[in-house]
Amino acid sequence: MTNLLILPILLPMVFAVLTILFRTHHRHANTMAIIGAVLHLFVSCLLMAAVLDRKVISLWVGSWPSPAGISLVADYLGAIMVLVTAVLHTAVVVYARIDITVRQIQSGFYPFMLLLTAAICGAFLTGDLFNLYVWFEVMLMTSFGIMVMENPAGRLTNAVKYVTLNLVSTMVLLTGIGLLYGLTGTLNLADLHDKAARVENTALLTSTALMLMTAFGIKAALFPLFFWLPASYHTLPASVAAFFGGMLTKVGVYALIRLFTLVFVTQTHITHTALMIAGILTMVSGVVTAASQMDIRRILSFHIISQVGYMVLGLSVLTPLALAAALIFMVHNIIAKANLFLVGGLMHRVTGSFHLTQMGSLYKTHGLLSLAFFIPAFSLAGFPPLSGFWGKLLIIYACLESRHYLSAALAALVGLLTLFSMVKIWSEAFWKPSPRSDTTPAGEKLSFWSLAPVLCLCLFTVLLGLFIEPVLQLALVAGEQLLNPAAYILAVKGGG
Amino acid sequence: MEWLVSACFGVMIACGVYLVLRARTFPVILGLTLMGYAVNLFLFLTGRLHTNLPDIISPDQTRYADPLPQALVLTAIVIGFAMIAFLVVLSLRALGELDTDHVDGQQEKPPA
Amino acid sequence: MKTPLPPIERVPDCCRGGLVSSILPLLLFGLLCLAWPRVVQGNIFAVQWAWVPSLDLDLAFRLDGLGLLFGLIITMTGFFVSLYASSYMAGHQQLGRFFFYLHGFMLAMLGIVLSDNLFLLFIFWEATTILSFLLIGFDHHKTAARESARQALLITGGGGLFLLMGILLLKIAGESMTISHWAASGDMIRDHALYPAVFICILMGAMTKSAQVPFHFWLPNAMTAPTPISAFLHAATMVKAGIYLLMRFHPLLGGTSLWMATLVIIGGTTALWGAIQALGPCDLKRILAYTTLMALGVLTLFLGGRTVLSLTAAATFLMVHALYKAALFLAVGSIDHQTGTRNLDHLGGLVKSMPLTALAVAAATMSMAGFPLFFGFIGKEIMYEGALAEDMFPVFATVATLFANSLMTAVAAIIFITPFMGFGRQKMDPVKEAPWTMRLGPAVMGLLGIVFGIMPEWVSAHLIQPAVFSFQPDREEIRLVFFHGINLPLVLSILTLTLGSVIYRYRTFLRHRMNTAIDRLWITTPGLYQSGLDNFLRNAGIFTNTIQNGSLHFYLFIIILTLVMAVGWVWLPHVPGILIFPVISGPLIAIGLFAFILASTGVVVFAKKRLSAIGGLGGVGAGVALTFMIFGAPDIALTQLLVETLTLIFISLVLLRLPPMDAVKKRSRSRTIRDACLSLVAGLLLTTLMMGILQVPLDRNLTAFFEANSYIAAHGRNIVNVILVDFRSLDTLGEICVVVLAAWASVTLIRRTKEG
Repeated sequence: MTNLLILPILLPMVFAVLTILFRTHHRHANTMAIIGAVLHLFVSCLLMAAVLDRKVISLWVGSWPSPAGISLVADYLGAIMVLVTAVLHTAVVVYARIDITVRQIQSGFYPFMLLLTAAICGAFLTGDLFNLYVWFEVMLMTSFGIMVMENPAGRLTNAVKYVTLNLVSTMVLLTGIGLLYGLTGTLNLADLHDKAARVENTALLTSTALMLMTAFGIKAALFPLFFWLPASYHTLPASVAAFFGGMLTKVGVYALIRLFTLVFVTQTHITHTALMIAGILTMVSGVVTAASQMDIRRILSFHIISQVGYMVLGLSVLTPLALAAALIFMVHNIIAKANLFLVGGLMHRVTGSFHLTQMGSLYKTHGLLSLAFFIPAFSLAGFPPLSGFWGKLLIIYACLESRHYLSAALAALVGLLTLFSMVKIWSEAFWKPSPRSDTTPAGEKLSFWSLAPVLCLCLFTVLLGLFIEPVLQLALVAGEQLLNPAAYILAVKGGG
Repeated sequence: MEWLVSACFGVMIACGVYLVLRARTFPVILGLTLMGYAVNLFLFLTGRLHTNLPDIISPDQTRYADPLPQALVLTAIVIGFAMIAFLVVLSLRALGELDTDHVDGQQEKPPA
Repeated sequence: MKTPLPPIERVPDCCRGGLVSSILPLLLFGLLCLAWPRVVQGNIFAVQWAWVPSLDLDLAFRLDGLGLLFGLIITMTGFFVSLYASSYMAGHQQLGRFFFYLHGFMLAMLGIVLSDNLFLLFIFWEATTILSFLLIGFDHHKTAARESARQALLITGGGGLFLLMGILLLKIAGESMTISHWAASGDMIRDHALYPAVFICILMGAMTKSAQVPFHFWLPNAMTAPTPISAFLHAATMVKAGIYLLMRFHPLLGGTSLWMATLVIIGGTTALWGAIQALGPCDLKRILAYTTLMALGVLTLFLGGRTVLSLTAAATFLMVHALYKAALFLAVGSIDHQTGTRNLDHLGGLVKSMPLTALAVAAATMSMAGFPLFFGFIGKEIMYEGALAEDMFPVFATVATLFANSLMTAVAAIIFITPFMGFGRQKMDPVKEAPWTMRLGPAVMGLLGIVFGIMPEWVSAHLIQPAVFSFQPDREEIRLVFFHGINLPLVLSILTLTLGSVIYRYRTFLRHRMNTAIDRLWITTPGLYQSGLDNFLRNAGIFTNTIQNGSLHFYLFIIILTLVMAVGWVWLPHVPGILIFPVISGPLIAIGLFAFILASTGVVVFAKKRLSAIGGLGGVGAGVALTFMIFGAPDIALTQLLVETLTLIFISLVLLRLPPMDAVKKRSRSRTIRDACLSLVAGLLLTTLMMGILQVPLDRNLTAFFEANSYIAAHGRNIVNVILVDFRSLDTLGEICVVVLAAWASVTLIRRTKEG
């Protein structure tokens, strides 16, 4: 039963190898990748079911008892994140069928994507800090690899920046891990919960916390550490941008949530205040920068940042409700944001541009595409009954409840500015008459393979909004579980 | 000795940071390598300083150095090397394409 | 310039779909009528399903007197507007979407007035916001339509956020989310510390939706929408949502001096400002929009009161206004549709060509002006009674009402007399009457204005009173009657008509004066909105360019600075304690080694030649490897040496390709100093952190485990190796992945180089 835990990591790896074998037959490679993604989704569902059944499951890898060996743990948070990853991965792989060139497939696009998925799931499931670092490195390396595939000349400078900054963040991360190990003598997260509480030198512990916060803050794109992100994401193919934009920052957020609910919970007046300030600044600066942009991918990239701010704000409030809010926001955001990137890719396919001034008339010519944009965009802006509404509502509610009135007000304001950006895209790309002469035929017709994943993700957004109650219940339990990690620790220690 | 080794680590980090801030391909790579060395050293030393306590199980030995940091360092060294190697290849490629060694892909504007 | 749709005479064939779709509102109207008698008797229809119990959000619907009043207005106008639109919009490409949005909007409005749960109400509230955005921007090829749609969305959406916060604060204050439970619990919330915040948030929601000053300007701008939409959204329904909200909140939040003072002042101001501005424009739709502002202001003003009288006045005027305003909008749309213009200066003499429309407009304007026999007269009487009975500022309320009503009378005269009686400035083409679908609505609503005016007692008993009683628990009977006898309200009514005729007489002069005066205003909210938006965008652009300047140096500098500040904030106070009495001790070989590392590091940084820098790096690497060796880790030392050699070879590869060092410009001195300072602080922090760590005793639990199990359970003597391949094999798996991926990615890159 608990061996299920290793499957979300191993399965994509196996399929990565299979797709390597098929990489010269790009159709087969795609089919293989889709099969892998669907199986992965299936396994993730099984994992979710197991977690629903037993609350926390844990596996001692190689049967070495915790904390000496590495434990894999799935609690509600981890299982939910794995499931969302699998959903998004499936959609992206299907979309990739029309989005990825043969050359990119031959350069190993699918193995890289599958390994990226494996690494992301590894990060969500591992119960060991150093192992988390290793998965982050695998993620980084795959993302580097995908970035440099078939990237037109001149874009490599962005890759150089991306790599350099990430290497620096890796150094910070490793230093932080070293400090924590030196202080506590353990790397196991559950064990760290006990040991960190017993550390006498709190200044040292808090410094370590802040160092790790910075390291994961770079990954999660917090203010002022996000400057690298928009330049990196907006040159990628739509399917890649969707997956990166949806997932990569969220793994950073996940790590922050994990560490700052499980390990660093003694000095909250410092650490969580810092998180709150960072969250608010991230939220506001992301949305303000997005407002000035005209390139749809850049707008979306900046919004990634802004919404990461919401999640970190939820984390910083540190109540079950706030954590549930952050979790729901994260799930909603991963799907909606990735969907918008995919839709952006389709808009480019139809109009030949990513720039709002060059687009137009899509509302008239492509009704389904308009719908596919409208739903995630207005979900992002927080309109009921779409999923984003609940995220926004719960975050504001949690802030108000904990008397963080300013944070609540700013969260609402940021919602309004998000609306502003989404309306800008809608108004310019969909409503405005096309700037090009009407004689040219309106782009190509969009195929089933391109619209299907997008519409499925829309459906997800709508259903998540309509059937929020079970999700909310689950998120609240997950929030409770994060704040009272006794069950988690027990499961890790018992290896079951 | 703790003081000395810490200072050594600190100096390596400081120099690494300084070099990375040069924002030219060559110093950036040097700086990252240097920082990598420093961090590896640091990780190793979180197991504290011991001489003559090799981690080989033998009946004569009763005390061992903490082996875990050593294992971590080994992993970190290899991963770090892979990263640096990739960065080097990438920089070479960028260099070939852009004909400048400035990491921003453009010559700096002269200071105002 | 607008391209008019071709005038039509008969119901076009292509609009059958629209005709069919108007069955939906008719059906709903019929259903409400069926329920009507029982609601009047005091029965209440309620249904409830659970939706999100965790948030106290239920699908709870409840039909009481207030809901019925609004529901009848909504479905009736909805029916006429659908019918009307089926002809008006005939031949439009996106007719299907139009009716989808229109009916979606109608259902959302019904949802607002029938919800018994505050969250549910909010969800419908936001639905109307978004649907009105789609409807206002329906003619999306026009820039103005897009702009107005965005403006309306941002303002009402922003108000929606306030409303949401208000609702959440209310929930936090412990209030029930079920609206029908409020009647009993008002005192608790009115004494609560959060009351002012709740009140302001709710009020902001209502003010933006119902276009109160200073958020009024989106409403006239929204007139870019097709006329059926203006008639439906901006006369009869959406703008009334804010009024509805205030009515619903009245038992909970109303009656405090804060509530009364704020509402009376805001309402009065809006009424006056709307009425004054209504004189300005020549566009009939814009005029109507401003009169709507006036009406909304008056409604707010009366909701500021707490007596049954003033609330009855509000409910009555709500009906009066809905009837005449929807009729007028639709009629103006007909004029526009048939003549191609709705500019007052170009219209005239239409009474001959469009007699039925003229009759309907006459009835509606008479009601608007408040002539006896019309429902508007009844409304005006009760308004004056209500204004005189206000708890706060009765004089202000009365004067505001008086002026607003007089201006209304004048505007009513303008609307009827100029297009229908006067002579067009230009020769008008022969105009045909609109088809019956477009005439029916104005005619019926105009007629209702007369019927209700003649039998006010019936209206009062069957509509107004049930509505008022559902949000005002004091069941005081206020009957609307046809004639009150000679009293102060009657005098005021007569005064209104007189004043109105005077204003009508001097309308040209006043319009001119008014327009110049408004142009001279140095601060207006539309201007503030526009300049605020422009400023925001400009500053956002500057901000973005500052932080996104593309310089890696800047990004790195900020990241390291953040790290230093975050860690330093906590750690710096402890640094002096750590740094005291540094003792250089230890085995000589170690000291020598560290000195060697330091020297090599120095070489790396300060070398003038790249080759020497590489040499220095080699020295550092070798020194680190030796350190590993000395401190008991020969395996790592070997790996380090191996890796270092490879790294050096790679770096030397770069060296061969680089432009010569002379070509590299010197960077500015200040930047060098800045960088150096940051590096030094970073180094200092890390040094002290490490010393701090080394002073803490190590927890040796894990070591003990590894010692005990490495040989016995894992069958390896070399503990480090056992950890790598067994205890922490997952790390090693990841490590292998990284190496393979790096190799592959590098090969991809190199292959590119060759082919490129």
